Amino acid sequence: MNLLCIGISHHTAPLELRERLWFSDDEIRAAMPKLKEAGFHECVLFSTCNRTELYVVTAEADFRVDFLKKFLIEQKSAQSHVNEENLFSYFASGAAEHLFRVASGIDSMIVGDVQILSQVKSGFNLALATGTAGFFMNKLFQSALHIGKRSRRETHISEGAVSVSYAAVELAQRIFDDLGSKKALVIGAGDTAQLTAKHLLGKGIGKLFITNRTQERAELLAKMSGGTVIPFEHFTERLAEIDIIIASVNADKYILEKTDIERMNKGRHGSALFLIDIGMPRNIDPEAKELDNVFLYDLDSLNGLVHENVEKREAEIPRIREIIGEELAILFQWHSALQASPTIAALTQLLEQIRKEEVEKNIHRFAPQDQELIELVTRRIVNKILHTPIVNLKNGHDESHNDRLTKINIIRKLFGLDARKERSHAG
Amino acid sequence: MEHIIIIDILNIALPLLYFLLVWVYGKAFFADFPWAKELKSKILFGIILIHFVYLLDRTFVFNHPPATTIFEILTLLAFSVAVSYAFIERLSRAKETGYFILNIAFFFQIASSLFIKDLLEVPDVLRNPLFGLHVTSALLGYAAITISAVYGFLYLMLYHEIRASKFGVIYKKLPNLETLERMSFIAITMAFGLLSLAILFGFIWLPKAFDDFSYLDPKLVGTLLIWAMYGTGIIAKKRGGWTGRKVMLLSVFGFVFTIFSMTVVNMLFSKFHNFH
Repeated sequence: MNLLCIGISHHTAPLELRERLWFSDDEIRAAMPKLKEAGFHECVLFSTCNRTELYVVTAEADFRVDFLKKFLIEQKSAQSHVNEENLFSYFASGAAEHLFRVASGIDSMIVGDVQILSQVKSGFNLALATGTAGFFMNKLFQSALHIGKRSRRETHISEGAVSVSYAAVELAQRIFDDLGSKKALVIGAGDTAQLTAKHLLGKGIGKLFITNRTQERAELLAKMSGGTVIPFEHFTERLAEIDIIIASVNADKYILEKTDIERMNKGRHGSALFLIDIGMPRNIDPEAKELDNVFLYDLDSLNGLVHENVEKREAEIPRIREIIGEELAILFQWHSALQASPTIAALTQLLEQIRKEEVEKNIHRFAPQDQELIELVTRRIVNKILHTPIVNLKNGHDESHNDRLTKINIIRKLFGLDARKERSHAG
Repeated sequence: MEHIIIIDILNIALPLLYFLLVWVYGKAFFADFPWAKELKSKILFGIILIHFVYLLDRTFVFNHPPATTIFEILTLLAFSVAVSYAFIERLSRAKETGYFILNIAFFFQIASSLFIKDLLEVPDVLRNPLFGLHVTSALLGYAAITISAVYGFLYLMLYHEIRASKFGVIYKKLPNLETLERMSFIAITMAFGLLSLAILFGFIWLPKAFDDFSYLDPKLVGTLLIWAMYGTGIIAKKRGGWTGRKVMLLSVFGFVFTIFSMTVVNMLFSKFHNFH
């Protein structure tokens, strides 16, 4: 398997280097044909915020690793920032295994990241569209996508929030049935508050209000998120209509006292009130937690949830490795069958078996003196039938790599050689 | 004769089927088995059908609705719990709570199957179809009250888990608080409608059936109180917007009061209103 993977990821380089090697779709479209021209049979390149990876299939024993590393760096004119040591490389089965790890989510910065699978798929589709992915890459990436799906279906690798902001939204969903009918207030405009607001919007929150001491920052966040600004001096007047509060401001004392929450609660007829306090020091009086139907969480409790979820995801890694092992075995089996010699052997064996069965079934119809002749004639017929296909399979050196693999694959499928092999294994 | 054999077979099979049902719902809830999630509602529907055939067969073979002894009532209750739950599952589209509800049906059915007798001789008054309608609607109503209380209980469990930042299986698998509350309310509304029917059939049939009928019979008064209590609750929720923990506590207390009314009052004070 002349497969090579070159790349940069969070394992090998910090963000400022990774972003230097980030390829847009247009840049990928421009770069791929150059690799084809350089003699690589097939290539796929994809780029995410945490990784850029290039997969190539080559006919040569020399993988030209240095050439490919230089190629990636030069395409992005990143010579003065990124050097070859920042890039990793995997060969043959190692490269396939690496892709499978990436697609399964266990290689991600956040284990079980759900986005990586669609990013791998987009990269592969882009290679198909540019004509740089062929027969082998098709099988390899289909296997990778299959592993990604199996990992998410058969394990809990992507379950549970693994960031404070998402944990807050996940908690809100354990309380409220329909976030579309709820109103949320974000107090402050810090990073975590912004992210929580973004997640809430992503889950379809009905109405989002934003308030901040610095009005301009509130307006900026409101513009980015589609929320409505409430002046900081007046936000307490609107509390009665709010279901979810995310507080994240720098303040010496609580901005929401227990009495404020009590007042809020009075007109709500027992409706749940969900409060997220991610301020440091805390913004909401922790004693408000004692009030009926009030759900108050601070950084510690949210971090606890996140930590628990991360541990649960990590516990799934051994099972994912098993899945990868199973799929690697299938890939190897498929790949080794694509060589000309095993295909010729399987085809010869199949026709010989058919010949033998038919001769045995009908030999009694012939006179004893003719039986030897029948054996000879049928063997000759089979050999003649096989002659041209075998010659064509053996002399495929002038064909492209892709054409040769496709031809072998068609023969295997037409004669059911793989199904036969599986049956004989099962037997 | 054939019918009695079918009844005997189903009498043994039903607890086993309910055990299977609870097991499948348990596998779906605790172990996340995809096949269990896929099959559980279908198995529930199948068992409800089998149970219905069993009840129908008993009614025709013994020529009276299966509500004349405590053990006949228990199998009818098991059936009522399963049917009410199936309705709520269909209406709310939340399928995660079946394990908790259907355990009740399983225990009712096992108690019934162990001790139920094939009664051919019962008072004529208990062969009246109105008696069947009265008892069936009442039992379905009480089953719905029980289910509402289970949802109330699950709500309170989840409420405390979330507030205490305990993120275990209850947190992960149960529907959210608002859904549990909605499911409880659907059950209460069903219970109120069914109890209204039971009271209506009772008022038509009871005075004709019993010479010593009295409007002051404690069981009758108790049932009316339960009916009025749940009716008030429904109005308060709809008109007054009552919601949250206290409402769910009331649902659980309502169930406790109902049990008290139906057991203690019935056993100690009721006169004519005992059918067995």
